Amino acid sequence: MKDQRPGMFVPALIGGATAGVLSGIPFINCLCCLWIIGGGMLAAHFLSKDSPLPPTAGDGAIVGIFAGIIAAIVGFLISLPFSALSEKFVQGMMDRFSKYYEDMPSGFERFFSEGAFETSVAWTLIGLVFSVVIYSALGALGGIIGISLFGKKKVQTERGVVDVSKNTGDRQP
Amino acid sequence: MAIRDKLIFIYSLTLIGIMIWIGLILLAPYLQSQSSVLAKFIYTVFAPTCHQISSRCIHAFGYPLAVCARCMGIYAGFFLGTIFYPLIKGFSAPSLPQAKLIILVSVPIAMDAVGNFLGIWMSSNWIRLITGALWGIILPFYFLAGISEYFLRQNKRSISRNLS
Repeated sequence: MKDQRPGMFVPALIGGATAGVLSGIPFINCLCCLWIIGGGMLAAHFLSKDSPLPPTAGDGAIVGIFAGIIAAIVGFLISLPFSALSEKFVQGMMDRFSKYYEDMPSGFERFFSEGAFETSVAWTLIGLVFSVVIYSALGALGGIIGISLFGKKKVQTERGVVDVSKNTGDRQP
Repeated sequence: MAIRDKLIFIYSLTLIGIMIWIGLILLAPYLQSQSSVLAKFIYTVFAPTCHQISSRCIHAFGYPLAVCARCMGIYAGFFLGTIFYPLIKGFSAPSLPQAKLIILVSVPIAMDAVGNFLGIWMSSNWIRLITGALWGIILPFYFLAGISEYFLRQNKRSISRNLS
């Protein structure tokens, strides 16, 4: 029975990579945490599809956690060039404005240098560490929801196709 | 530890977790108004999970909360759902809610998000907060069922290993 537990790596990789890419690209990332929950759901869908047994809610949680970790790493890598681009954009703006220094209100340089554009390696790493933790929790949630939506499977037996209801773990060994 | 105690333990951890989570979101603007460096830390922690666009955030103390109104609604809904969980489900064997329930509560938030994204209409932050909360309130019923089921399964396995 133990050998029949579903393989989680591929479903987690597909769900996590999809969520990571979508949450890392500016403008598309406006759906916030919903992409990560969606990634967990996608992973649960593939898990359910590939699994010989109907996966449990716990299986969904685990595959969702893995998907969340992968999403955090992929999202971080995807967002790196975009943050570099935005920094370049701000620097270019400041250079242009500096030509009209006398016409600008005092403190305009501070206006651009403050806030979201201030980045450093330490802050980026803090963001990555916390996003791994947060994305894991959100991915687990997505995985569990995914199992509730896609967990019902049809199993081929000698007597024909049998509907197997969602397994919430009560029938586990 | 008995099964019921385990479920109560998992529930308590979830409740404490979401309380800390919402506390940090609300604390960020206050700390920012005090020019504390901790404010930046909190905004950084929440940045990967939310766009934090100021116009889409509810403001307090003159500064935006650490997440947008929709995310705030989801987390506030999650907190409310966690509070109501023992009254509705109790601490017996965990079971997932019916799939149609999540589809039903997803309709308002999905319609609002799609309408805003396509520029058909522009919702106020309070509408975003309410649709987010409607969705979030159902989430602990999935989260707690899934996590509890996993730990109970581990428990059963370790018992059967000890018996054999």
